[in-house]
Parts: sequence; structure tokens; C-alpha cells
Amino acid sequence: MPEIFIDGHRYEFEGEHKVLQFIQDLGKEVPFFCYHPSMTAPANCRQCMVKAGQYMKSRETGEYEVDENGDRVIRWFPKLQTSCNLMAADGMVILTQETDEQVKRAQKDNLELILINHPLDCPICDQAGECPLQIQTYKYGPEGSRFEVKKVHKPKRVQLGPRVVLDAERCINCTRCTRFTQEISKTHQLTITSRGDKNYPTTAPGREFDDPYSLNTVDICPVGALTSADFRFKARVWEMNQTPSIDITNGKGTNIDLWTRDNLILRVTPRFNSEVNDHWMPDAGREAYKIFNENRISRPQQKLDGEKVLSSWNNAIATLGEQIEDTDNAKIVVIASPHASVEENYALSKYTNLLRLNAPVFTSHIEEGTGDGFLLSDDVAPNTNGCRLLGFKELDKSAISKEIQKAELVIILNDNLVDRSVVSADQLKDKFVAVFATNNSETAEIADLVIPITTAAEHAASYVNVDGRIQRTYRAKETKYTNRRIDLEMSEGRLDRYGTNFDNWVTEDNKIDCMPMWEIVNNLADAAGLDINFKDGREIMDEIASSVSNFSGVSFAAMDEQAGIQLSIKKETSTSK
Amino acid sequence: MSTVDWKNYTPVLLPDIKDLHKIDVYTKNGGYKALKSVLTDKKKWEGPKAVVEEVKKANIRGRGGAGFNAGLKWSFMPPADGGPRYLACNGDESEPGTFKDRKIFEYNPHVFIEGALIAAYAMEITTIYVYIRGEYKTYIDMMEKAISDAYDKGYIGKNILGSKFSVDFYVHSGAGAYICGEETSMLESLEGKRGYPRVKPPFPAQKGLWGRPTTINNIETLSHVTGVINNGAEWFSSIGAPTHPGPVLYGISGHVNNPGVYELPSGVPVLDLIEVAGGMRNGKKLKAVIPGGSSTPVLRADQLDGITMDSDSLRTVGSMLGTAGMVVMDEDTDMVDVLWRIAHFYHHESCGQCTPCREGTGWLEKILLKIKNGDGEVRDLDLLLDLTTQMEGRTICALADAAAWPVRFTINRFRDEFEARCIKKAHAVA
Repeated sequence: MPEIFIDGHRYEFEGEHKVLQFIQDLGKEVPFFCYHPSMTAPANCRQCMVKAGQYMKSRETGEYEVDENGDRVIRWFPKLQTSCNLMAADGMVILTQETDEQVKRAQKDNLELILINHPLDCPICDQAGECPLQIQTYKYGPEGSRFEVKKVHKPKRVQLGPRVVLDAERCINCTRCTRFTQEISKTHQLTITSRGDKNYPTTAPGREFDDPYSLNTVDICPVGALTSADFRFKARVWEMNQTPSIDITNGKGTNIDLWTRDNLILRVTPRFNSEVNDHWMPDAGREAYKIFNENRISRPQQKLDGEKVLSSWNNAIATLGEQIEDTDNAKIVVIASPHASVEENYALSKYTNLLRLNAPVFTSHIEEGTGDGFLLSDDVAPNTNGCRLLGFKELDKSAISKEIQKAELVIILNDNLVDRSVVSADQLKDKFVAVFATNNSETAEIADLVIPITTAAEHAASYVNVDGRIQRTYRAKETKYTNRRIDLEMSEGRLDRYGTNFDNWVTEDNKIDCMPMWEIVNNLADAAGLDINFKDGREIMDEIASSVSNFSGVSFAAMDEQAGIQLSIKKETSTSK
Repeated sequence: MSTVDWKNYTPVLLPDIKDLHKIDVYTKNGGYKALKSVLTDKKKWEGPKAVVEEVKKANIRGRGGAGFNAGLKWSFMPPADGGPRYLACNGDESEPGTFKDRKIFEYNPHVFIEGALIAAYAMEITTIYVYIRGEYKTYIDMMEKAISDAYDKGYIGKNILGSKFSVDFYVHSGAGAYICGEETSMLESLEGKRGYPRVKPPFPAQKGLWGRPTTINNIETLSHVTGVINNGAEWFSSIGAPTHPGPVLYGISGHVNNPGVYELPSGVPVLDLIEVAGGMRNGKKLKAVIPGGSSTPVLRADQLDGITMDSDSLRTVGSMLGTAGMVVMDEDTDMVDVLWRIAHFYHHESCGQCTPCREGTGWLEKILLKIKNGDGEVRDLDLLLDLTTQMEGRTICALADAAAWPVRFTINRFRDEFEARCIKKAHAVA
């Protein structure tokens, strides 16, 4: 097998490898800015310099040549090489900054040059704390600067597009953003303008940077040159907790991170998953953080004499229990939801099955034209395939509307059927409508009973995307009934770990009075004298895996380990586009 | 060292013939004979490979500055596979002090066109581009005319002179960027992109224009091909310095009486060349010479004894032939000013792709401006020298080296003058 020698250690490799990526995959480090594993390597930042050479092999024997002292003969490349575009070769010798002074010096020199025209405004820069330039300067940079003349001035606070703001002075011209629009989103909206130390990225004159994937350039910008118009100046990175999650605004199931401070989700960034979304996510999904914070239903609500009033949990549970008892089973319709997780749907169906109600039905949520063949599908619900795999009957809009019109009691799990015109408010007028919902909506507005449930940011549950991949969320936000400090599964931020008591603050107002669906089901079952005791999403998934054959082998542990599990779905049911 | 007999040399690229740029005059004086011979004389030329071998034997060292054997470069082209193959002729000459190719465009465009066509035949090329800097508007027009004349006469186009060889020939004008003279940057520019040099490998012979095999040659280099085919490799390699043979277009500028382009054999003594250009202006004393365009290291007058204009001789005193665009400076020249002006040029022309050059060129210029204005300190000189090592050899193309060398060598060779400028300030404060 081909072998490569890095800092005196021997490694074997197969296939084609860029030396920089190979070193990173070993868990070692070489500083860099312009390289990105999903894009071409332009080798323009010149930071990832290494010393490279080749052990000479004898043509006849194929053995390494040795000199008179018995040492292998190395032919060094005449210049230092950028490791990002250097392909690993058999017998190659690499020295990084760890073992070679010349490399160390070259990297330091390069950082000094990068910094001379950089404004060094870290204290007011959004990138500070997650800035490759800042981090690498501390690690590999010079102690001070010898630059005593005037810096170059360039445009600042330029609104490149609706979502992205440019500070050209901070730009180090790595061209990651322009390459992103050329190679990944393919809109070709960004280019570098001007020459030399005056150049910076911009759009064509009169054009907006309205690429539907524009905010990815903010993520990959290695400095604070491109910032999010929405997020800038809102929070320092170290004040936030980063929690892995799944985008629930689209069926694609993009892997994301939720960034929380003071129990509010402040931003959404993509999380790498080579099987789903690589490093990217659509801008549309980033707006979704608002649905976790705003317009939430807190505390159960009940209609009394036509007026919506707040209710107690006990009262709400009892009311629903009584309604079910008082209504003829044939006149009850239970509507499951592609917008709710597998566990929530399962918990509801287990309860209704034990009561011998009609089996839950659901309708998928397709919005034609949303799909773009990349990270958006026409299916805008995160769990349509989950409902299918649980064996729920799928009805189209008119069929489900007919079912509803036949019923007297309508139980809806988190699906805004009125808002998306599946049924009209008029058609629901004479019926008792009970809704489990996360956010205010027209559907919740006309409901007789509204029971608030947790969002994907508040519970750990799984969703099956359009391609049949089951992935799960983590608890990122506290509810009135959970506590970050004692919840071992919630992420620990830098402030949680290192801050004093005065650094971290909690506003009780930001905690929503809601419960996970399965806890509500526990209470409903209790009231009906049924034996249901769900503990959390993890246990429910274990139960599903053992009782529903479509989910056999699925568990939270397995999903965590493999970044989601591919389930087998029928091809024709896939709505991936 | 044997002296080169340059006094009895008859020019071949720029002969004294009136209206040579007209195609009729050119053909009357033996023009397109070489092309005809290559295409039709099957006894003399057994196919394209024979032409490559002849040019390789002639040892035409690239006149664009790098001095690489043109025939050898041609032989790097992979075998033809039926797809398009390109010849890109580099007429971007933007190095300060260099203005030789424009003489070819102006006085003898067909010698270049013929050379390019022979090169295209030798490498089985399907399309030729000649990239001319945008500032040469007049010469771009003249080249357009010359090419269209050659099309009319059947020297370019389908089945040239009744052979199976077909080729298209296009003029492409630059937009005023020095960097587009760098060969891969020129390819990007030809493709309609921003002129950024490409990372090598892959080399243009493997993946050039639009990912296809491409050879890039200087205008003067290709012009010499015509002579080599007409008179043979021996004729060419017997002219001038043995290791760097052939006629050279010397572009002489600066403080001489008759600046201009002079065609002479390679290896002419530097001091003789100044005499060719009419000697020093106003009878002043020679102070320094930049031998081959502003990026080549400057030489002091006292270094020039016995030095001839070829790469080997110039290397002995630490300089290069480059493009043979020689800048002559007299005793009144302020070297600080000269260096600042050169640094200003490279700062203005750095494409900005690689960090060391983008940031380094600006820093060099700013420090030099400070010294020029009398605000410099001696430690600034050491910083400048340090910066040149930070830039050199750390970038994708050679422009960082081109920007760094003049600074390093001018300071090293005229350190007293620079220090004096810095120390004057120190005294003034005291």
C-alpha cells in the first residue's frame, strides 16, 4: 500500500488524498483559510505551507535509495508547497509547522501579511470567537506587527443582498464565497472586483446577492467580512449554546445547529452530513428559528361561550377525555401529522388505538415549486415518510376533508389544516375541535381546545426525511418543566462551563408552558384508566423499533453514531425532487 | 569569452524593407516560403514531428523572459486526439522597459503569423489566439488587418495551401492588466474570466484553454520560427551567444540618445549596446542598467565590464536577460525614486489572488514612499529586505518574485544611497 511520511511518522493510504485533508483527518492541524473540503482548492491564501519531498526509489529494484550513511535519499521540492492542492504520493515526505522551522516561519510571515490590512476590530466583530483568522493568529501568528503605515480602506456595511452584509476591509480574499456561488449554488452572483490589496467580493452592478443559499457564504467566510443581516450584533458566539438538530421546515431534513442564548434560538447554521446536506442549508430554513421563539402557544386554551380562555393542564386533559368518552367512536377522527415527529405520532396513535378509535389518518403537505433539486423538496413537512412508515393511512386533501365533515370530534396533531386550506373554518364550526399545537395559527384560533406541545427545539425526537433517512433532534430550549443545568442531554456552552453565576442569565418569560406530546398522552391515558407510561423520545423509539417492523434496528444511539439511519421506503412514495 | 560579431549582423525580424507589413511586400521578399515548405515539401519535412525536432535543435530560448527552449516546450504537447488544441501567442508585453513585440506587430506582422502557423502545424493545433495588450489599439488593428489578408491569400483557414492542415487565427485584446502576461492568467483572460494565474500542475500542455492542450509562446519567439525553418537550426544556433543563440530584439530605453528597439545577435556586451542606442544622453556617466525589464535585478555601472546580453553572462553578476528590455540610467538618477516607481507599478498590478503578493506589494510601496519622502529610517531597509523573503517563492505565479527582486537587489546594490536618504532625516531631527 502507498505510504506517506508526515512529521516523521509513517501512514498508509489508498486512493487520492489532498495532503491538507489527509493531515486533518489524522487529527493533526495545518492552518488554512481558503481551502474548503467541498469546493476546489485555489491555493490563494498561501497559509497551509508545508515542506514536501520524495524518498527516491531505485528504478531497478523499486526499493528506497540510501546514501553512504544508510539514510534514505530525499529529494525536496524546491519551494514550500501549499498542502491544500498537493496530492499525496507514495514515498512522499511532509514536514509541517510542528517539525520544521522554515514552515513555521513561512506561516507566521503569511499571517503577518494577511493582518496588515485587516482592521483588527475583533471586539466589535461578529466573527470573533469562531474566527479562523483570530484562532490561527493566536496559534501561528507573529507577536506583533511591523506595519506602521496606513491601512487600505474599502467599503464597509455594504448590504450585498437581503440577507448578507459585507465589510470589505475584513476580507482576506480567500474567494470561498465566490467559489460557493460558482460551484455549489451555481448562481454566479459574487465575484472579486478590483486588483491587488484593493480587491473584495461583490455582485455585478445593480444586482442583489439574493441567492437562496446566500447565508452559506457567511458560514464559510473565514473572517467577519460577510455577516448575516439578521444575526449581526445580536450575540457573541461564546454566550450561546450550540445544539444539533434537524430543519423541520422542509422534508429534506437538513442537519442544523441551533444556537441558543437565554432560552431563545438566535440563529440556525448547517451541520455537516455527507448523506443529506453536506455543509450547506437553504436560507429559508434559517428563518425558522423564529417559530421556536415567537407566536408560541403557552398554556392550554379552551373556548368557553365562544371566548378563548387560558386553562389549566388538568382541566384541558379532562375536557378532552370527556369529549372522547361522550362521542360515538365512529364520529371521532384523529389526524396525525407529517409536521410532528415519529414519536409524537406514535404516542397519539397508541392512545387512540387502545381506546379503539378510528385509526389516525394524515395528509401530506406538498407545496409545488418549493423544490429546487438541491436542498429543498416540494414536501415541506419534515416527517411525511415517518407517518407512512408508522402505517397511517394517507388521504389527499378532499378525502381528509370528507372524513372531517363526517365527524363530531376532530383531534388534530400539530397540522394547520385550516391555514393550508384542507378544511375551512366553516366546515369545522359545529364540531368539537381539539388541537395539539406548537404555534398560534388559524387552526388553533378556531379550535375548541388547544393543548401546547413542544417544538423540535424542545424535545428529542426523530423525523424521516423525503429520502427515508431517519434523524433526530436534541433538546436545545427549556420549557417551563425542564432545566438545562440538570438535563445532561442539553448542550453545555462556554458560559455554562466557564462563566460565573452573573454571566448567564435566564428570563423566565422565554420559557414556554408546553409539554412533549407523549407526556400529554400519559396524562390522557391516566384519565382514561389506560396503561401508557412513556418516559422520553429515546424509550418511545425503542418501543417503535420493536413493534413496527419498518423501524427495526432504529435507536437514538444508532442515529447518533451514524448521523441518521436510512430506512427503506417505497420509491413512489418518495417526494424528493 | 568569444566576442559576438554583432557589427556585421543583418536583421531578419526587422529588416530595412519599406511597407513590409503589407502581405504583398512580405511575400515578394520570401514570405510564407517557410510555411509552404513545411506543408508541401514532404521530402524535407516528414510530418509535424520533424518541425518540432528542428526547432528544438535551434534552441530558441523563450523571449518572454523565462528563456525556455521553445521546441522542447512544443514537445510537451500530448498526442492529438481529434479534439481542439490551442496555440496562445503572448503579446501582452506589459513589463516596464519592454516594447519589442509591438515592433513586430507594426513592421513585420507576417513573420510572426507565419511562425505561429508553422508552430500550429508542428503541434497539430486547431486554433491560434494572439493576445495583445489593450493599450496597443493601433497594433491590434494592424494585426487584424494582417490576419485577414493572410486569410484572403489562403495562408490561414481551411486546407492551407492545398494541404490537409486547417487552422483559425484570432486576435484577442487585453484590458490593461500586467498579470495577463503571465501565461495561465492569459488563458483565464482568453476564456473571458478574471485574470488570475492558475495553479500548476496541471500545466497548459495538459490542461490549457478550456481544459484542452495549449502551448503559450511569446510573439518574438514564434517570429524566430520562420527564420529557423527557412535557414535551418544550425544557422540560428550559430548566431550570438552559444547557450542563448539567435537574434534578439533589444528594447533600449532610459538615458540614451536614441532609445528604441534594435535587432542584434544575443550576447552583445551591455556597454556596446548603450553605444548602439547612441550613447549616454548629454554625455552623462552611466550609473545603472536594468537589463531585461523592471523585474530583473538592477546592475551598477561597475558590474558591467565584459558582461554580455545573454542569460549565462548576466547570471555571473546576479541578473537575468528577461525580455531584453534594457533600462539605462545616468548619474543623476535617484535610485530611491526609481525603486519606489517600480514598487508602485507592482502594487498597482498585483492581481490580489495570493496573500504574500497582494499585501506585500502594497507594503513595499508604502515603506518606499516613506523613505522617498525623507521619513524613512534605516531599520525600514531591513524590513524591506525581510519582506522580499516573505514574498519570494510563496505565490502561485512569479509576480511576487518579480516584485520582490528589484527591491532586494536595488537596496543591496545601492544601500549607501538608501541609507543616506534615511539618515538625513535623523540629522534633521537632531
